[in-house]
Amino acid sequence: MKLLYTLKESQQQALSLRDGETIWYCVPVDLAFDNRARSPQVSYTDQTWIVVTEDRLMTLRGEEKTSEHLLADCEKIKCEHQVGCGIVTVFPREGLPECIARFSMRHIIRVAYAVRGAQTLVQAVQEGKKTQMVSRVESREYEKYCERCGRALPGTSKCMYCDGKSDILKKFMALCGEFIGRLVAISLLLVLLAGINMFNPMVQRYFIDNSLANGQGTMTDLWLFIILTFVLTVGGMICWIYRYWLCVKLGASLSMSLRAKLYYKIQVLSLSFINNRKPGELMNRVSRDTKQIRAFMQDVFGDMLSTLVTMVVSLVMMMIISWQMTLLSLVFVIAVIVITRLFWHHIHTIFHKQWLRADDLSSNLQDILSGMRIVKSFGKEERESARFTEKTRAYAAIQKKNETFWAVFYPILTFLLGVGTYIAVYFGGIQVLDGSMTVGQLVQFVTYSGYLFGPLSWMTHLPREMMLMLTSLNRIYDVLDEEPLLADKAESKAFPIEGAFTFEDVSFGYQTYEPVLEHISFDVKPGEMIGLVGASGTGKSTLINLIMRLYDVDQGKITLDGYDLRDVQMESLHSQIGVVLQETFLFSGTILANIRFAKQDATLEEVIMAARAANAHDFICKTPDGYNTYVGEHGYNLSGGERQRIAIARAILNNPRILILDEATSALDTESEFLIQQALNRLVKGRTTFAIAHRLSTLRDADRLVVIDKHGVAEIGTHNELLEKQGIYYGLVNAQLRMSSGEQ
Amino acid sequence: MEDQRENGMPNLLDLQEFDEEALKKESEEVLQMRLLTADNAVFTRTQGGFLSLQFDGKNYDRVGVYLTFPLTNPQEFISIREADEKAKEIGVIRSLGDMPREVQDMVQEQVRLRYFMPVIRKVMEVKDEYGYAYWHVQTDFGSCRFTTHMGGDAVVSLGEARYQITDIDGNRYELPDLYALTVMERKKLDLFI
Repeated sequence: MKLLYTLKESQQQALSLRDGETIWYCVPVDLAFDNRARSPQVSYTDQTWIVVTEDRLMTLRGEEKTSEHLLADCEKIKCEHQVGCGIVTVFPREGLPECIARFSMRHIIRVAYAVRGAQTLVQAVQEGKKTQMVSRVESREYEKYCERCGRALPGTSKCMYCDGKSDILKKFMALCGEFIGRLVAISLLLVLLAGINMFNPMVQRYFIDNSLANGQGTMTDLWLFIILTFVLTVGGMICWIYRYWLCVKLGASLSMSLRAKLYYKIQVLSLSFINNRKPGELMNRVSRDTKQIRAFMQDVFGDMLSTLVTMVVSLVMMMIISWQMTLLSLVFVIAVIVITRLFWHHIHTIFHKQWLRADDLSSNLQDILSGMRIVKSFGKEERESARFTEKTRAYAAIQKKNETFWAVFYPILTFLLGVGTYIAVYFGGIQVLDGSMTVGQLVQFVTYSGYLFGPLSWMTHLPREMMLMLTSLNRIYDVLDEEPLLADKAESKAFPIEGAFTFEDVSFGYQTYEPVLEHISFDVKPGEMIGLVGASGTGKSTLINLIMRLYDVDQGKITLDGYDLRDVQMESLHSQIGVVLQETFLFSGTILANIRFAKQDATLEEVIMAARAANAHDFICKTPDGYNTYVGEHGYNLSGGERQRIAIARAILNNPRILILDEATSALDTESEFLIQQALNRLVKGRTTFAIAHRLSTLRDADRLVVIDKHGVAEIGTHNELLEKQGIYYGLVNAQLRMSSGEQ
Repeated sequence: MEDQRENGMPNLLDLQEFDEEALKKESEEVLQMRLLTADNAVFTRTQGGFLSLQFDGKNYDRVGVYLTFPLTNPQEFISIREADEKAKEIGVIRSLGDMPREVQDMVQEQVRLRYFMPVIRKVMEVKDEYGYAYWHVQTDFGSCRFTTHMGGDAVVSLGEARYQITDIDGNRYELPDLYALTVMERKKLDLFI
């Protein structure tokens, strides 16, 4: 996302930059704000900018500088999210906060980044650092609109209309290259089909002119004609079926190949790429977009080529027979195109409305069904069913209207499309009557004109189909072209992990402008158990994500056994980490497969030992199919504690050097918790462990506790040390003791 | 978007969150509606464009103005809250009309600053193109072009003939009365309503 827009010369002058002062960030805002009165105005504004240099923060409206703050005088600068808009607030070192700009949601992400950039400059000034040392804040987010044409981008970096189209087609061609044999076969069949189509009317003409019209035909001629026509028709049909079959196969292989590539790519890409997108969106790209391409290849691609060939050849043949009549027909073609376009546009509109109603209806139904218990317990059945009846009635009304329209107008449209033939027959008939044309030629002409008019209404859909396919392709290639942020380098190392961690001034945020962890520094010895404590939302789970290297740190570094975590081979790292999370996710499959997830080649004995260590063996034995019991979606129902223990077995199986427990025992009954606690205690021995828990009793065996508060390490030490300190941890322990005694 | 780490007020220690007494007191306090009236609350507009408040012996440099029923009763039950991340409620203005004129103006200005939902006066054009609709409308903020998805969520009914339109950036637009539009304009909205 662009954070440095270029200002006009005259606007630059209004800023009166001193020598060597450069603009770091320059972003537009769109809501008028009176900087003199510091009051919002009810108006959009154009050419209004927030400008950040290494010295100053300014706002610019047209060619007038409307506000100016020296960064050295600022305590901090914030982008504050309001309702449907945002404001920029400056907190001066002395005095009260000031609002300096207001903008709609269109600009909020951009402004937030720029303000974050300004804030790093303010911090540098406060810490007496040189601003040259400060790195510019960059945004990896995509623009939402194409800069050139202003169209919305469907979650991609390139605009299809401006620069993407040929590029995408080229890639698509390259992909098709893998299936070149099939493509050649299809093309040959297409030519053959078109040939048969063209040849058929010629045979008819010959037969009519030479056998029927002049009355000299024999039975042999008749039989010959019938056999020839039969052969041509059957031949054409076989070609058509074979071609269709090839197209289906091509579409399926193409979409399969794309799907496999996409799926692989999504696995490889870092979590940050996935988190930047809406949950359903990537799923759509894998399933819906590839389906779109299959549908296109199978239904449109083949037909498109053969129809085009047929139409062009028909036109040429018509020209040869009678160019006057052909021109006349062409005038009619234009009329037909206009009529069908209008018709389809209307149809699209009314059916879209129907679709909206259906959508509304089904979400309403789902609402009521899933809330049935509430509806019943409040005794509101009557009202809800009345509401639903009203909605179905509205839907039925619109459906009736649409179907009536369809039933009346579709035949009319078909008739209109057929009018071309009448015209041809009329003018052709005149020519036949005055002898300038034979009956056979007329029949041939009429048949060809049918070839020409028939697909016209279908052809008007083509641009839409093409566009849909291109959009899907664009969205697919957008993912395929993404470079994984966290990739192994050539010099990445794989080694048996000892488990010594060092955090050196680590800062990180999921969005670069919103830090979650700041300036974290501490050491962990191999085999040590570290308890992470703090209120929710302070960044404990984030710290764990960094240890697992699901994300890379923004600043500072994490070292493992002396190596920077970024230089450790990912697979080597992950194969030596065991993870038990609060939300236990079991894949659809057997218990055995779930335990074996981390180590596919584990022997049955190893699996059983791991399950025993996790206190899971007993309950697994009691399930109907033992270790072969199917779990996951639509599978055998396991309780929360049982799932948790399977997850622990999964983590143990690998014999990991590093263990991560994120709220592994929360929300369980006392007995399950005890069993799991026991299992965990066995597990923890000799491994570097990071454990997060709200219930502090869970952490009583931790060697040291790290209290995280306000995005940083607040306290660190053993249980006793922290109690003596009487700080945050002391408060937490006391509060929990009091709460639990209150419960009894 | 909001920088959660920093906020105007010194953050209460998390320790105090676990302080049972304080928690109890807090949950008791929530039960009562502390009404701000012309007699007990003194609002002042700050140089920086915000609102400060003196109430119950305390001085708040900056307060947040939150509408509790922004769509149906924007003038009633206005919650005045602390400006930090926790946004603890200081009190409620029962009905803005009962406040002195200048207080009304000051509060209204904060509402204008905090809430943004342009009202559509005139629909110039709605063009649909491959999954997106491109709108051109006249609003109380002036002429505006925006883009919505074609799905069912872009335009939702707020009851009767009142509609709310959400664009792909998350901006919301209000259409107060569908039938105040001309027939031609309504026709342009056919795809959505």
